[in-house]
Amino acid sequence: MSAFNAFTAMIYRQLKRWWNARSRVTMTILNPLIWMVFLGLGWGSIFNPQNIPSIPGIPDIPNVVEILRSAIDNYFKQLFGGVNYVTFMLTGVIVMTAFMGSFISGISVIWDKQFGFLKETLVAPAPRSIVILGRIVGDSIVTTIQSLVIVLLSIVLTNEINLINTPLVMCYIFIMSLGFASLGTAISLKFRSMEGFQMVVNLITMPLVFVSGVFYPVTTMPEWMKLIAESNPLTYSVHAVRYWLASADVGFEYMNPITDLAILTLFAIAMITIAAKTFEKTTLED
Amino acid sequence: MVVVEDLVKKFKDVVAVNGISFRIKKGEIFALLGPNGAGKTTTIHIIATLLKPTKGKVLVADYDAVREADKVRKKIGIVFQDPSLDNQLTGYDNMYIHGKLYGLRGRELHEKIMRLLDLVELKDFAHKKVMYYSGGMRRRLEIARSLLHEPEILILDEPTIGLDPHTRARIWDYIKYLRKEFDMTILMTTHYMDEAEELADRIAIMDKGKILAMGTADQLKSMLGQDVIYVAIDNVNNDINVCNIFSFAKICKVLRDNRLELVVDNATKALPEVFHIAESKGLKITEVSYRRPTLNEVFLHLTGRELRDSSELHPIPKRRMVRFR
Repeated sequence: MSAFNAFTAMIYRQLKRWWNARSRVTMTILNPLIWMVFLGLGWGSIFNPQNIPSIPGIPDIPNVVEILRSAIDNYFKQLFGGVNYVTFMLTGVIVMTAFMGSFISGISVIWDKQFGFLKETLVAPAPRSIVILGRIVGDSIVTTIQSLVIVLLSIVLTNEINLINTPLVMCYIFIMSLGFASLGTAISLKFRSMEGFQMVVNLITMPLVFVSGVFYPVTTMPEWMKLIAESNPLTYSVHAVRYWLASADVGFEYMNPITDLAILTLFAIAMITIAAKTFEKTTLED
Repeated sequence: MVVVEDLVKKFKDVVAVNGISFRIKKGEIFALLGPNGAGKTTTIHIIATLLKPTKGKVLVADYDAVREADKVRKKIGIVFQDPSLDNQLTGYDNMYIHGKLYGLRGRELHEKIMRLLDLVELKDFAHKKVMYYSGGMRRRLEIARSLLHEPEILILDEPTIGLDPHTRARIWDYIKYLRKEFDMTILMTTHYMDEAEELADRIAIMDKGKILAMGTADQLKSMLGQDVIYVAIDNVNNDINVCNIFSFAKICKVLRDNRLELVVDNATKALPEVFHIAESKGLKITEVSYRRPTLNEVFLHLTGRELRDSSELHPIPKRRMVRFR
């Protein structure tokens, strides 16, 4: 019973902290919006078949233009899983938001080290694994709420989103967030300064986003990049979210929503275990 | 309540605590007195299970601080030297989260929080964020928080460091009240002599990781008898032992700054004799003072330097020290 109290205490704390820092809240929503509006709409018009006849070299014969246009359109549709590029990218950016948010949430551990609150949690009698799990769950709830806001905002930019599947998508997002929040937390426990952690964040997050299929399909990647994408947990959440929200099945042949869920769950469990073990061994010397 | 035996803690090549032993009885206020870098905080962190000792045994309320850390954690309340509050949350939330981490909840928790906030006179600020609190308010909140789970042993690491005299006096009052009202066992560290003398039943004087003396303030001061005379002599010949000259003194010692420490029964009567002897031996006295012994004189006697002088004595790597000389 007392362990459960400690668990909810840490969830309460992470949520309250997030709510108290409202300026940060708007930033976490604004940032993905910028990606969605500028990159999404900017690239989206390139893949728009309406713009094709203006390409020089296409003879101005009505039938040929029609055939070419539909052929090119079909090619893009096939690449992006039957939806236009804006929808394709939006569904990816939702996952990117959750990924960045959860991974960076680990930085609060360094914050707590500098402001001393970490000592308060280290000296508490509650099992450390429960304390850190509460923290991670709290951060993941925050991330999931942020992603939900992005999903709701995305309907302004596209009409191909099945909002009905949102609760299901949030489950995937939450499980993925558990994994990356744990990873971020475990790394933070080993760092003293924000700068050091920031460096690791930059080093890890951008490449992981690029090889996950957020901006372009994994199927057309060079072979070596495909190998990385296959071992990147983010790839599976991008696939699943796109599958449920846009009914677009873009991914490697073996991928389906069930395997996605299984892989994400395994990833989350492994990362939580690592974070808990790291926190259990933490002393003031770290 | 607390047993520390032959405790050693090394950080890489620096020995922070070098074989100390002491026992704290139930209901006692025990103070570790010493300059910064003496190893007080390290000792406290080991007792609070936050650091693992390199060697030695620590028992808190009969539980081993290494093997039964979670049981020890339940028995202690600690106020750290550096703040450990979440300053983006309110005072109430800080208390609430602490209570839940220690397994309290519901009405009982709420009532306890309000009672303790009332005790430290922070009830009116309960729903203000801690970042708007003053230093004294934060310290009071930390004290209230450390009492929330009714610990058997309260650990205070430099409870009044950086506070103004008025707030210091108030914190002293709280500490005295806790002991009187709840028979609380309190372990505290301080580098203020007046604080140790005012609050502690027993004091252990610590320097460079060792305990040099331990006892009540009176016992420690009685090491030096009635009065202490300090004499600075200009032309000391290193060949002769000055202490042989002033043989009437009960204790005679040359301090680090080459002053002479003479312990006598009555300084007013002994002073003329000091001058007389010095003159007859051709020694030139440049400075004389005498004091009733306080803990500062005891520290000076034990270490050869003043407590306030040594506050900047942090462990410096050996190579650098050599170059400075």
